[in-house]
Amino acid sequence: MTAAIPVVHRKPLDAGRLVLNAYVYGVLLFILLPLVIIIPMSFSPREFLEFPPSGFTLRWYGEYLGDRRWQDATLLSLKVAVLTSIVATAIGTLTAYALARGRSVFAGLIRLMIVGPIVVPHIALAIALYLIFQRLDLVGTLTGFVAAHVVLALPFVIFTVAAALSRVDADLECAAMVCGASRLSAFRHVTLPMITPAVVSSALFAFIISFDEPVISFFVSSIRQRSLPRRLFEDIEFSLTPIIPAIATLLTLLSVVVLVAAWVLQRHEQRRREGAAKS
Amino acid sequence: MSRLARWFRGGRYLSPGAGTLLLLPFALVMALAFVYPLFDLLSQGLFAPKFTTVHYQRVFDQPVYLRILWRTLMTAVSVTVLCLILGFPVAYLLARLQGFKAAVVAACILLPLWSSVLVRTYAWVVMLRREGLVNSGLQSLGLIDAPLKLLYTEGAVLIAMAHVLLPFVVLPIYGTLKNIPPDYERAALVMGARRFQVFREVVLPLSMPGVASGSLMVFLTAIGFYVTPALIGGPQQMMISTLISQQVRELLNWPFASALVGVMLVVVLGIAAVFNRAIGIDRLTGGKA
Amino acid sequence: MRGVSVGIERLKVAYGPVTAVNDVSLDIAPGEFLALLGPSGSGKTTILMTLAGFEHPSAGRILIGSDDVTTRPTNQRNIGMVFQRYSLFPHMSVRDNVAFPLKMRGVAKAERARLAEAALAKVRLAEFAGRMPAQLSGGQQQRVALARAIVYEPRVLLMDEPLSALDKNLREEMQLEILRLKEQLGITVVFVTHDQQEALTMADRVAVLSNGQLQQLGSPRDLYEAPANRFVAGFVGEMNFLEVGVLRSGGDGAAVRLPGGAEAVLPQGQIAGSPSGAQAVLAVRPERLVPVADGGVPVAVEQVVYSGATVLLVARSDDGTEIRARIGTHAGLAPLARGDRIRLGWAPEAARLFA
Repeated sequence: MTAAIPVVHRKPLDAGRLVLNAYVYGVLLFILLPLVIIIPMSFSPREFLEFPPSGFTLRWYGEYLGDRRWQDATLLSLKVAVLTSIVATAIGTLTAYALARGRSVFAGLIRLMIVGPIVVPHIALAIALYLIFQRLDLVGTLTGFVAAHVVLALPFVIFTVAAALSRVDADLECAAMVCGASRLSAFRHVTLPMITPAVVSSALFAFIISFDEPVISFFVSSIRQRSLPRRLFEDIEFSLTPIIPAIATLLTLLSVVVLVAAWVLQRHEQRRREGAAKS
Repeated sequence: MSRLARWFRGGRYLSPGAGTLLLLPFALVMALAFVYPLFDLLSQGLFAPKFTTVHYQRVFDQPVYLRILWRTLMTAVSVTVLCLILGFPVAYLLARLQGFKAAVVAACILLPLWSSVLVRTYAWVVMLRREGLVNSGLQSLGLIDAPLKLLYTEGAVLIAMAHVLLPFVVLPIYGTLKNIPPDYERAALVMGARRFQVFREVVLPLSMPGVASGSLMVFLTAIGFYVTPALIGGPQQMMISTLISQQVRELLNWPFASALVGVMLVVVLGIAAVFNRAIGIDRLTGGKA
Repeated sequence: MRGVSVGIERLKVAYGPVTAVNDVSLDIAPGEFLALLGPSGSGKTTILMTLAGFEHPSAGRILIGSDDVTTRPTNQRNIGMVFQRYSLFPHMSVRDNVAFPLKMRGVAKAERARLAEAALAKVRLAEFAGRMPAQLSGGQQQRVALARAIVYEPRVLLMDEPLSALDKNLREEMQLEILRLKEQLGITVVFVTHDQQEALTMADRVAVLSNGQLQQLGSPRDLYEAPANRFVAGFVGEMNFLEVGVLRSGGDGAAVRLPGGAEAVLPQGQIAGSPSGAQAVLAVRPERLVPVADGGVPVAVEQVVYSGATVLLVARSDDGTEIRARIGTHAGLAPLARGDRIRLGWAPEAARLFA
């Protein structure tokens, strides 16, 4: 006996799936709600936090930008983040390349060190650096900030670039060398162009890791030199004006920009790897 | 051919010399700004100037500190469990979505991951304050008469920490679920398994590496978490990181702070080492993504 | 353009305790097409990689023409190479890929473009110069790789299983293409393959390798008809091996007892090694076997497979050895069925004895 072939035009209503969907959207709401609530608060015309806001003003953004204290903190954090990004990306790319294309006897030790800053709690590293920076007079200095943040950013740079390198066939560099290229020019002409999107997005991530970093900044900054996160940390408990929501909104916007940029770059890399779209 | 020339002779792979030179900057930075400072800090708690264990003894002798240690561990466990309960279904659905919907859900996970911990913690402060959104909302609905004390409670710390750490558990689970070939589930269905059985017998076991690395990541971060407990918790919710900070900033008691860091590192590295044995530490960050 | 000779002298490549290539010497004549044939792990790819400078000898020398290049880096060896997976640079157009070696040699831009187009014309892909590699089929990509390898007129062309990623029809087409180019350019070619058919059809000489050692170097006909040892006999083409008892052996040949009791005599020219013991192995190709009335080896037929030009007979001798025979469909073979007992024999010159 042959069973009738069921003709299904649409999936039957599935209670399990509905519950799952509802639950997941609930969790997503839980994730986004706090971020979403902050944003309208920053446009409130009142001197205190209110939700929903009773009007619309950009006054708090103006106050943030006009306040000398916030200016200094932002400028310091920007400087640190740009330097961190440059140094961590350069060192991280070299490291990822050496691990991917070399056979160093130290590779095992290096790999262990890469996960170090991820596993070791930031508070431990923060006070360790605080102790040594006091002795070396590096507290509140650009060098101190950048050294600390480079350590935090390196694992992310290395993992991002290593992932991109693992998608580039190692034979390509061999082919380039047979064609007469030295190892260096093989890297410059063949490998580097292919991993550039990953390198740039790792630079963006390094920037934001440094710019947002609260714990180590909290300890290695001085009275004179306070980073933006430290200033925020101190003001969160006392400041009741919507200036903090304004800054929070700007920081979130920055994260969105970085994420979108990283996404665009990743698409670009993928397209480059798979060859340009048919013309 | 001299030894030096051999050291710098590359082939299919980088020459040993070039490979080592390229790793040198990383090794230097890590040695100077990571390994050495940590060792230096740890030596503060063990040498005064002769070897001593008094500071470590103090951690375990005084009930106050033991309570804080215990609370830290329990909070980390609770946050991990909470993150798994909230995160697994999200990862499961995300792995099944395609196109625009998948991008939206992924963005909801990635945006918090890359936005400031301070900002996210601040949002919870605003919501949970005495005159905050949750209280005013409940009051206007007539559910409560007087504002509840929400901030500086254990529940607030748990919820805010879970909120901050949730992406760490979703991404690795998503990674393993995405790598399960759909054929496995189809095969199980063909063999007569019901949908829930497929989930329990096929999907869940295969997602275990992701569950393990996500949990580990959340657990380790929770143990050393500073910002959120410091801003959302009160003295009653003090965790080890706040205690360490207090010892350093207010009491300048470096040897005792060092002993606390030592205890924390032993716990954290011990767990990480066990995990490494079982699954491989490379997975922590998604490994070779 | 003329090819140059390539000399491999007592090459040894070892990685720690593992010896990948052990004491291999090869002299490759200018313009010769030499195939390195062997199973995986035989050392054939390692030899090619050593020629290219990607691996380094533990002992021995590599000569290209009269230059000792043993310690010279890859980019100064002036060789061409085609890789297994094409290895075209995915971010460059076909033209830029082919022009890349010229760019590395400092050729001016206009001249680069002209030479690249000329090389592409040689592989009949001139109209594809503006495309990206991903827009080409596998066969086209491999032809671009070929163009890139010959554009700077290298002295030697190395090929690492260049056809293994292509399907069968394309592979045969590419075999002809490569031979045509080699004739046209007169270039020396060293070609690695694990496909013995490919080695036999394309190469002037074949070097058979196993376990890092050279088993035999000779023309395809030598290899097939006079394998130097049991490994070569079994690896190149199909072969039946029969356990035989040595009755007597001397300077002029040997007499052996076949399974089933018949006696066979082999002249010295068909004996490899010196059969000193009581046992030896007799090798006969399936297509040299024919049913005979007496002599030969008695067998029981197990399977009869008709395949057009030939009939494949799978049979078993009384001592349990499986014997395969390929008999021409029109050789007047009587219809056979499973279980039939027949005798299989061969012309005296068709058998070889391995001690």
